[in-house]
Amino acid sequence: MKLQRTDIQGVIFSAYSHLPCAAYLLLHIEDAAAARRWVTGIAGEITTAESKQENFSINLGLTYCGLARLGLNQATLKSFPIAFREGPASANRSRILGDTNESAPSSWDWGRDPDSIHLLLLVYGANENALDAELKKRKAELMRSSGLTVVRDLSAGRQPDNKEHFGFADGIGQPVIEGNERHERKQFNRTHHATVVKAGEFILGYINEYGIPTLGPIVHAADDPAGVLPAYKVPDDLRFSGQSADKDLRDLGLNGSYLVFRQLAQNVADFWQFLDASTRDQKNQSDPAAREWLGAKFVGRWPSGAPLVLSPDQDKPGYENENNFGFAETDRQGFGCPVGSHIRRCNPRDSRGDDPKESLRAVRRHRLMRRGRSYGERIGNKLVADNAERGLHFICINADIERQFEFVQQTWINNTVFGGLSGETDPLAGNQDPGACTGMMTVPGDPLRSRISNLRSFVTVRGGAYFFLPGIRGLRYLGSLLSSP
Amino acid sequence: MQTILTFVARVDPAKLASLERFLEKIQNFKPPGQHPDLPLANLKKLHFGSLVIFKDPAAKYDPYLVFENNFDGQLDEHLDALLEHGAAGLHQIYDHCFDYGATGPQDRAAIAAFLRAHVVRPHAYHIGNAGRSVERIQQEAELLDEIERFLDSTPRHGFENTSPVSLRAKVQQFAEDNPALAWAGHTQSRLTFAERFVPWVKLISVGLIALLALPLLLPFLIIYVVVLRRLEKKDRTDIPPPGDEQVQQLAGSEDHVVQNHMASLCYVKPGKFRRATLRAVLWLANLVARVSYHGKLSGLDSLHFAHWVLIDHGRRLLFLTNYDGSWENYLDDFVDKASLGLTGIWSNTMDFPRTRFLVCGGARDATRFKAIARQTQAYTNVWYSAYPNLTVKAIDNNSAVREELFGSLDEEATRRWLWRF
Repeated sequence: MKLQRTDIQGVIFSAYSHLPCAAYLLLHIEDAAAARRWVTGIAGEITTAESKQENFSINLGLTYCGLARLGLNQATLKSFPIAFREGPASANRSRILGDTNESAPSSWDWGRDPDSIHLLLLVYGANENALDAELKKRKAELMRSSGLTVVRDLSAGRQPDNKEHFGFADGIGQPVIEGNERHERKQFNRTHHATVVKAGEFILGYINEYGIPTLGPIVHAADDPAGVLPAYKVPDDLRFSGQSADKDLRDLGLNGSYLVFRQLAQNVADFWQFLDASTRDQKNQSDPAAREWLGAKFVGRWPSGAPLVLSPDQDKPGYENENNFGFAETDRQGFGCPVGSHIRRCNPRDSRGDDPKESLRAVRRHRLMRRGRSYGERIGNKLVADNAERGLHFICINADIERQFEFVQQTWINNTVFGGLSGETDPLAGNQDPGACTGMMTVPGDPLRSRISNLRSFVTVRGGAYFFLPGIRGLRYLGSLLSSP
Repeated sequence: MQTILTFVARVDPAKLASLERFLEKIQNFKPPGQHPDLPLANLKKLHFGSLVIFKDPAAKYDPYLVFENNFDGQLDEHLDALLEHGAAGLHQIYDHCFDYGATGPQDRAAIAAFLRAHVVRPHAYHIGNAGRSVERIQQEAELLDEIERFLDSTPRHGFENTSPVSLRAKVQQFAEDNPALAWAGHTQSRLTFAERFVPWVKLISVGLIALLALPLLLPFLIIYVVVLRRLEKKDRTDIPPPGDEQVQQLAGSEDHVVQNHMASLCYVKPGKFRRATLRAVLWLANLVARVSYHGKLSGLDSLHFAHWVLIDHGRRLLFLTNYDGSWENYLDDFVDKASLGLTGIWSNTMDFPRTRFLVCGGARDATRFKAIARQTQAYTNVWYSAYPNLTVKAIDNNSAVREELFGSLDEEATRRWLWRF
């Protein structure tokens, strides 16, 4: 099936790198009827995969509670997957995500109560002025009896470069959606590599990496009297029971996706102080080179982005965006890039199990389209705490939250036995909860590994929610709902 | 030698709730496995044990209580240990079941007779760490910890200019100086020659016989495939979306340690054709599993103990497994690596996603496959693991560390041995 670009929200296809300023508005529905009118109005203005705008972009997502508030009926709500319905603050999801201790939902700044966040408006601008103008306009619109209030205005501000706050280049490797040749070319030219993944991994209703369509929420035709939504065309054999072809069903999921939002606070000074203390020389003096080396071991890339697999001993100019490498052939033991390093956990490439080809195939079923941006000012001196709040608004797109985002989080990042390790989690992004792991990191070496101990959690979850990113027709449908059930 | 078996008993439906309450008490007891009435942790040869109540959604069968036992040695010895430590618990449990006649916990002969009468042995099984006893697995984990700590105790710069050979010598010295590790020097082979050799002979003979008989079998095979395809096209694939409460109950009990347990019971598709096919597939799977003694079954390296057994005259398939990692990861691994074998078995059970030629399709429909897997899965009422934080891979690594601690290794092998830490 050809991608229906005019019905797909733009953020699924584009990181909007031409729009370096961004803000995320979390909205609460006060009046469903007014909110529906607002949704109908904005549906026509949403940036789609087809309509690139030079100055600004806007996209819109809805939580499960938001969909219920807008008036979606129970039968349709139940056709959403359980991960989305429960939301990341629920006990089950928290356990899967490893959100314990300081990262537990009970201490989040927002999202603790799933019914407090209903919509997410993502606004991007080419510069501060463009973003401000767009935000002003949108907020004024919201003020004028839209039935919505702004719960939080999470500004990501301007991105000075592609580095996150710890100081490492980020967002180098991204999967490419099949059928998006321009993006594939761009990705290949920039990083010398492009992993092309079936559209169904990121867009509902399309064929996924299992060779079948990714199932999305459905609506009974009687609930769509205006016929806004397309017919549900999944083959009879692949449907859940009660959804057989003789029933007249409409596809609410088609061209939609799911967006995971997590506000991750980064304790930059603590991170570098830890690295510093762990790499003091025999006279207990700081060793800046060793400190940076250990940081690179945590990440799997040097601060510039150069991968340790290709340049194990020092940062290497010209390799900043290099992504054409694997682990199985060149670095199976992890002497360059540790098995437990952040990039190896987030994307094990060809190193999952003994068969590199099979590993690559399996890993493609767990990829994320990362769309996050840093927030807060860069730290002045990375070794000195300044108490300023900074971090990453982690955003990723996936068609199956359980099989993609949650899987990466549970089976790779926070898995204490990842890749044959024992008791360790991701040294950068993992939860170092002493109840669940040993707080260690093995840095493989020849002849002998070293072990870094007493790791702390350098990243804390401050808030989070799962959003449904409907197609444009899906948004129009939500705006057309009659009354609350 | 390890034994895998279950005791399958019919629960009196009137006493079901009371049984569930009692099992919950055993499961929630802290420390785990040490409830005074059924202290499974006292059974030093028990690797994994579980008690699961299967309620039949179709209500054709009474609820079943399945008591899974994966242990070292033979049944007689295991029964003795069970009764010695757990007679009180066993009596309370089986008092909820039909055909149970013991008068009290002291009536051990009657309890033993009941258990013997309810033994069910698997049609196919797999053991991840073949040939290693509970004691050996626990000892070798301790050995690894001791060596790791020893290596950590030397300052970071201490080993920088040490050769692999002298590093290993230091570790050997450390182990020799530690009387608690004296056992480590006595190497134990994992499997006897016969245990390794005989399964291969069986598998190869079966292959050869099949090859030789092919001309004779061919017409039957063609008829078989024609019948199979006709059935497959008509098979019901009625898979409702997973029920929230069931998923929440199951998921809520998972991922508390490195390992997890999964118990499922499926109806076999009606008709002798399917029942015979499933028996044959399990027989074949078992032949393959017997030669898979290097920790992997069809590429899956996360299975400690898994077994399949047909009960109720082949009308229901029971599957019990103790595995590493999350349920989601486990099922994905199954689909990614063992889709053919998995589909070959479960395509003979009700409402499996549509298959072609017995092994194709099926589990590839991953979303619905996971949905049906959740629906046929039962909540594990009691679960015990003798080493809850060890993976199959870690146990193998620990064994290799121990097996190569002493004895001669060349320089290259010594380096590889050091990479194990």
